[in-house]
Amino acid sequence: MNSRITANLGLGQLSLVEAAKERGKNIRRVRKFQSILISVLRALLLGGLCFIILYPVIQQVLLGLRAPIDANDPSVVWVPKNWSFQNFRLAMLVLDYWNALLNTFKLSAISMVLQVASTALAGYAFSRLKFKGSEILFIFVILTIVIPPQALSLAQYLYFRDLGLIGSENAIYLMSGLGQGIRSGIFIYIFRSFFKGLPKELEEAAQVDGASVFRIFWNVMLPNARGAIITVGLFAFVWQWNDTYYASIFNISTEAFPILTMRLVNAAENVYAALFYSGALSLIGQDVWSNPMFLATISNVAALLMMLPLLVMYLFVQKQFVESIERTGIVG
Amino acid sequence: MQDTVHSNQVNPKGKKKFEMTYERQKLFWAAVFLLPWFIGLLLLFIVPFFQSLNYSFYKLTPQVGSILFEYVGFGNYLFAFNEHVSTSTSTSFSVEMINTMSDVAFNIPVLLIFSLFMAVLLNMKFKGRAIVRAIFFVPVILNSVAVASALGGGSIMTEILEQQGIGKIFDLQFFLIQSGLPEIMVNSVVGLIDRIYDILSLSGVPILLFLASIQSIPGHLYEAAKIEGATGYETFWLITLPNVTPHILTVVVYALVDTFLTSPVSGIIQHELNTQNWGLSSAMAWIYVLFILGTLLVVFVLAKIFKIGGSHYE
Repeated sequence: MNSRITANLGLGQLSLVEAAKERGKNIRRVRKFQSILISVLRALLLGGLCFIILYPVIQQVLLGLRAPIDANDPSVVWVPKNWSFQNFRLAMLVLDYWNALLNTFKLSAISMVLQVASTALAGYAFSRLKFKGSEILFIFVILTIVIPPQALSLAQYLYFRDLGLIGSENAIYLMSGLGQGIRSGIFIYIFRSFFKGLPKELEEAAQVDGASVFRIFWNVMLPNARGAIITVGLFAFVWQWNDTYYASIFNISTEAFPILTMRLVNAAENVYAALFYSGALSLIGQDVWSNPMFLATISNVAALLMMLPLLVMYLFVQKQFVESIERTGIVG
Repeated sequence: MQDTVHSNQVNPKGKKKFEMTYERQKLFWAAVFLLPWFIGLLLLFIVPFFQSLNYSFYKLTPQVGSILFEYVGFGNYLFAFNEHVSTSTSTSFSVEMINTMSDVAFNIPVLLIFSLFMAVLLNMKFKGRAIVRAIFFVPVILNSVAVASALGGGSIMTEILEQQGIGKIFDLQFFLIQSGLPEIMVNSVVGLIDRIYDILSLSGVPILLFLASIQSIPGHLYEAAKIEGATGYETFWLITLPNVTPHILTVVVYALVDTFLTSPVSGIIQHELNTQNWGLSSAMAWIYVLFILGTLLVVFVLAKIFKIGGSHYE
């Protein structure tokens, strides 16, 4: 099309060429303005939300780092006047920290390994080794996700009592190993949709080379499932670490085998008694421990101490975790 | 390639080894792989499930070495609905049940929209994206009943701050009511803002799910849209949303189960369990299961009506 139309100056119209240029410029200007606006709004929103997430953690850390004396000083709001680790020491006494930390770590790590193993096998069977009726069996996986553990806990409790597993961490290991641990159904679901997403050619190529089904699983599929393993492993570890439900039903936290969550829950209910029994009260003056704010601080610090190992761990694996979740195709 | 397979099958060098066909092998290994899970399902899921249904019709009294069964029919169910008052929280089961149901009805749509919005934001390219993402999933890690109880649901902190006179830096509710907005609206807005941390911590996993599903949308769709000159708004409604809808159902189911599991109702059930009202606690758990299954049924019917869940390309 010939676009060289001259301007009709009498009517004040521009030629087509210039009008197009003008329009393009306008659009570009609007787009640029929009993109700046969006990025400013986004930065504000995300910054604010990140602040909301981090705020309690920052507050707890600062609260924990005050000297107990500061509890009686109303002028101390954010930054402590007297820095000290005394609160941490007291909270550690209350929690029986090193012992409980070791036990919790052992419990979480072993049950994580068992969960990953049992759910990966089941997930693989459901996605790659389909047989008649596997769809029906998979409905049971969905049911294990949906039915709340409360509906099962009594019968499970009586069952484990007959086996003599109450008061022992073996109850948790048994459940994890049999694919019925904390939210195992979700893990099977994740593994299933992940293995489903792997290209069929991988399996066919290996099959042509004469690999058996097990070898295909072990040498071809599993190494490709790193993302899913990291995701499931992290969730299994964290949910076991934070678990109070099964720990209290199966009475896992005992004097000989204290675990963090149960110590924390017990301490939170009665900080004073916990401090009293651990002999911590003699370390500080009565004017301090009679202040309810001091007791609140201790239970706060105890909570922080429980989360701290998880936070540190997350710091190391978060990159793989966030990346792996994108690649797992969890949503199937 | 084709050749080697052929010769392998026809002439296995005279060896008469025990060999299964590939299909047979698959069946065998499927059985092996599913065995632990299946044993677990049978012993730790199906059997306890029906046993607890059985228990719910009895009054159970623990005795030395055994349990005394006393048939009460639907007595436990009726008690849970009509008379039950929890000794620990002084609320009744039925009230908490209704609260939980209304929470679910209000929270899940908010949660869905919020987490989809956040997933879209986190999927954009901007500086510091890795850090922001890492921070957003911190609540997933810290979402713990034990921590919540130690912090008293944040009430201890609020108390401390109020003691020091900085409880509220900015009283939003007062401000909004003063500016003449209707009180119901103000309350719901302020309620949402007060619960923003809860919403954030509940939405951690849904954001992850949405993020994963957005990442799985083929990139060429966006490129084509960009060339055609679509705005970000248009690409969201015409590309992102339709491609994400198949996964909304997954997110809803997850969020639903999560909300139910962390609701006060499960606390009451556990309390009754711990105080050895075993029959009552089983009955409550069953009421609870029926409510969840009912809600799921509603969700699935809604999904069918609005055609959410299927691929939109069909």
